[in-house]
Order: sequence, then C-alpha cells, then structure tokens
Amino acid sequence: MKHRMVVLVALVLAYGAVPLLLGSMDYVMSLIIAALTIGGVALAWALLGNLGGLVSFGHAAFFGVGAYTSAILVVDHHWPVLLAMVAGGVGAAVASVATMPALRLRGPYFALAILAYGHIFRILAVEATSLTGGAAGMLSIPGFPTLLGINLASKTGAYALILTIVLLFAWLYGLIRRSTYGLALRAMHDSELATRVVGVPSTHLKAAMLVISAFMTGVVGAFNAHQINFLDPEYAFASSWTVLPIAAAIFGGYRTVWGPVLGALVVFLVDQLVFKELMPSGHQLVFGVLLGGMVILGPHGLLPLLGRWSKKEASHAGA
Amino acid sequence: MLELDAITMRFGGLTALHAMSLSVAEGETLGLVGPNGAGKTTLFNVISGVYAPSGGTIRFGGQDVGALPQWKRARVGIGRTFQIPQPMRELTVRENLRVAQRFGAGKEDPAALDEILDLLGLAHKQHADAATSLALTEQKALEVGKALAVRPRLLMLDEVLGGLEMATKRTFARTLETVRARFGLTMVIIEHDIETIKALCPRVVVLNFGQLIADGTPEAVFNDPQVIRSYTGDTPA
Ligand SMILES: Nc1ncnc2c1ncn2[C@@H]1O[C@H](COP(=O)(O)OP(=O)(O)O)[C@@H](O)[C@H]1O
Ligand SMILES: [Mg+2]
Repeated sequence: MKHRMVVLVALVLAYGAVPLLLGSMDYVMSLIIAALTIGGVALAWALLGNLGGLVSFGHAAFFGVGAYTSAILVVDHHWPVLLAMVAGGVGAAVASVATMPALRLRGPYFALAILAYGHIFRILAVEATSLTGGAAGMLSIPGFPTLLGINLASKTGAYALILTIVLLFAWLYGLIRRSTYGLALRAMHDSELATRVVGVPSTHLKAAMLVISAFMTGVVGAFNAHQINFLDPEYAFASSWTVLPIAAAIFGGYRTVWGPVLGALVVFLVDQLVFKELMPSGHQLVFGVLLGGMVILGPHGLLPLLGRWSKKEASHAGA
Repeated sequence: MLELDAITMRFGGLTALHAMSLSVAEGETLGLVGPNGAGKTTLFNVISGVYAPSGGTIRFGGQDVGALPQWKRARVGIGRTFQIPQPMRELTVRENLRVAQRFGAGKEDPAALDEILDLLGLAHKQHADAATSLALTEQKALEVGKALAVRPRLLMLDEVLGGLEMATKRTFARTLETVRARFGLTMVIIEHDIETIKALCPRVVVLNFGQLIADGTPEAVFNDPQVIRSYTGDTPA
C-alpha cells in the first residue's frame, strides 16, 4: 500500500512536475534526458549483472548497434521512427547472440571478451561505408514523431519518451526478478550446482538475460540517435556508453531495479550542474572520487544505503 | 530402470570408478556402501551429469542419458542430494523448492510443494532463509525436498542421514520410507550405518577402490569376508 503510494507520487512528479517546472529550461531538460539515457543503459547493464551474474564491458556495442540499426531503417528504408527503435533493440539483441560463445568464460574473462566484441562492432561500422556512411557518420537522422498530440521531438516530448522507455524496462526487470526465472537466476551465482541439479539450464538463462539486456540497450541507443539526429562510429560506440552506466549502476546499487536509474540521475546531474560549474576542467575527477567514496561507504550503492537510513530514521521516530 | 555399463571415471591419474557395471530395477531401494574414497559420490556425480565419465554408458528408463547435460538429467527424472547440503543461497526454503519444481518438474504446483514441506517437517520453516537459518537436520530435509520437487523417478541420497543423532536418524529414515511409498520412487542410498541400511534397503552393493565387490541382501553382504576386509583397510591385489 505504502509502496503503491510512493510509486504514484513518483509518477506524478516525473510526468507532471518535472516538465511543468523545468520544461522551459532547455539545457536542464537536455541534461535530464541524457541522464535518463545513461540510466536506461545502466538498468540494462545491471539486469545482466544482477540476474545473469555477468559483468559486461561491452554495452557500448549494443548501444551503437541499436543506434545504427534504427537510423539505417529510418533513413534508407523509411521506417517509422518508433518502430525502428524497437528494431534497433532487436538488432542489438541479435548482435548479442554473436557474443554468446563468451558466456562460457567466467568473471573477468567474459568482461574482456565482450569488450573485444565491442570494438569489432565499431570497426564494422567504420568499414561498412555504404550502409553506415563510414567514419563520416550519418547526418540529419529524422527525429521523433508527434504521438497523441505530443510532439516527441520537443525537449519535453523526448523527456516523456525516454522516461516511458526506462519505466517500461524497469517494470519488465521487476517482472523477471519476481518470477521463478528470477529466483533461479538469483540462486545461480552462488549455487550453480544446486540449481543445475534441479533442472535449471543456467547457461540458457544467462544467455536470455544477455539478449534482454542488449535489447534494452539497443532501444536506448536508437532513442539517442533520433534525439541528437547524428551518428558516427566514434560517438555511437564510445566507451563512455559502457563506463558511465557502470558507474551509475554501481553508485546507485546494481542489485536493485531503481538504483542504476537513480545513480545515473544523481551522478550525471550533480557532475554537470555542480562540479562542472565549479571546475570546468577536471570535474570528472570529483566524479571518480565520489564513486570511490560510495564504494567504500556503501558498497551496495546509494539506494540500499538510503533504505538503511530511512529504516534507522523510522526506528528513531518510533522510539 | 538404471543400467550402468563399464563406467570408468578418471581424475588425472586417479581412477575413481573402474569399469563399473550396475543395474537398479524399478521400485528397488538399493544401499550403496563402501569406505571413504571408494567412489560412491563420484558414481552419483556421473549418473546425475556433474561429471562426464571417461568411459562406459548410462541408460535410464531405456534411454542413453550419457550425453544429456546436467539440467536435463533432472528433467528425465533423476533426483539427487549432495553429501554437503547445497541450498540455493539468497532464497527461502519454499523458493528453493519452487525453482526445483518449475525447472525440474516443468510446472509450478503449490499443493504438491505443501505436501513435500509437510512430509519433511519443513512447513514451519518454509519462509526462512535456506542458507542461513536451518539446523543440520533441516538442511538435509531441504536437500531431499529439492530432489523431490523435480518429481524424480530415481532418487539418489548421498549420506543424507550422515551426521545425525541416532534418534533423529531413525525418524528421518522412516520419513524416507514414507516418501518412497508416496511417490513410488526407485532409490539409491549412500549410508555408513549398517542398521539403517538393513532397515531401508533389501539389496546392498559395496564399492571399494571404484569397483563393486559385493551385491546382495544386507545379511549376505555384511558377512562377506571381502567386504569386512575392505573396511579394515586392505588394498586389493
Ligand atoms: N573432482 C575430483 N577431482 C579429483 N579427484 C576426485 C574428485 N572427486 C572425487 N575424487 C577422488 O575420487 C575418489 C572417490 O571419491 P568419492 O567418490 O568422493 O568417494 P566416497 O564418496 O566413496 O567417499 C577419491 O579418491 C577422491 O579424492
Ligand atoms: Mg562421498
């Protein structure tokens, strides 16, 4: 009941208060959109880490493949943008299948293998000139349409769109986590033998998480392409599409559904609005220190830490 | 129901199972005994697919299951427990069984889980954390519960009664008998206590240095001089 209320209030704030109060400030809206973009990838990354037990350094590949797939479908084949974005997710999911041999690898070896895959996709985007425009990239990628009277190409519209995408993904993540699949996945990390012996196809389940995570990342990558209307391989496959989401997820709490999104908002907005103002060059350093501090103070991330504090508060209030 | 033919299992230079053949009939309860290191657990690991044997064939219900991955062995009806209990960490007792049932038996059936929890005396602990809040007997009961939740036709118990006090052991042994009758199971039981074996198993086989050295009724087997020698530590010629 209380939980429902929190969700309801958060939704009203997110869809109502934010556009009403900040809608006229283009710069701030752009930052929030960028933060949610990173948050979406962070959520997808954390789903793979938390449920699949896999640490990926290659999510930039899925982001880039999603962006290119969608852009090419719209520019060359005149697909409607929103449909092409879904196809971008599918493209990234298909690309993730190519990384599956790496699933046999454990721990850091998987992380490294998928990092290598990321570079392969970037090189492909540079070399497949006729399809992708090569290193020069693609210009004038069409933006979002108007849907139900809302111009999604406006800042407020794009914000509502990425917010909706992230919420849908969080809902899907929660659904998976609560299912018996989610239970099996949670148990798999520490008790792989125990799960296999009762019939859990652990490698298949991990693979499924990889595909879902790649799909989500691809959709967010596609969103980004149509929002900034431009793509080149250096940008679409930039390692920051891997690094920032990882930082956000770890900062916010990668084993929770909302932690990564919260982490992205806090980390990105504080970095851009506060630290960048205070020290235009080198503000990333502060960000690094912040992340380091978080790992030491609350290794499970911000959200679990807040949970602990609010419980303490409640028990103090009750005493 | 289960036919092992010339199963060999090598770990590097060590041969844990030596061209071992054994068949277990439907509905039978077989005792598997032998000194520590004889290869009993290894045999379970080979049957349940934890290890691929270095040689030999495994037929279960007429089907060659040797090539099936571990998770598929559960689905064809091979259930087992581990000598060292392996609860699924982070999950409750009931969630452990739910996962076993969903993946091993193919579909969820809460009523069937209730029955298993009741039979094993775990109902009151069903929402407790499986890895941290169970006493030894309860951990062992959970091992059996997980194996039962996959709806096995063959249930292999690896020293599930080991380390329990005598009285607890008797009660647990009776529970196993009830479970066997209720689910119409074929069972293979690894157990050191001769009285328990006599009470549960009409047939016993003895494993020593990876080879079967005796097969028969408990009375015949436990009076076999070769078996007695194996327990007093003689190596085979
Ligand atoms: N994974 C393994 N790697 C190497 N040796 C093993 C492994 N598992 C079992 N062994 C060896 O195989 C032999 C049989 O072990 P085991 O089957 O556990 O015996 P038992 O269960 O009868 O006490 C022992 O010598 C043991 O050390
Ligand atoms: Mg053993």
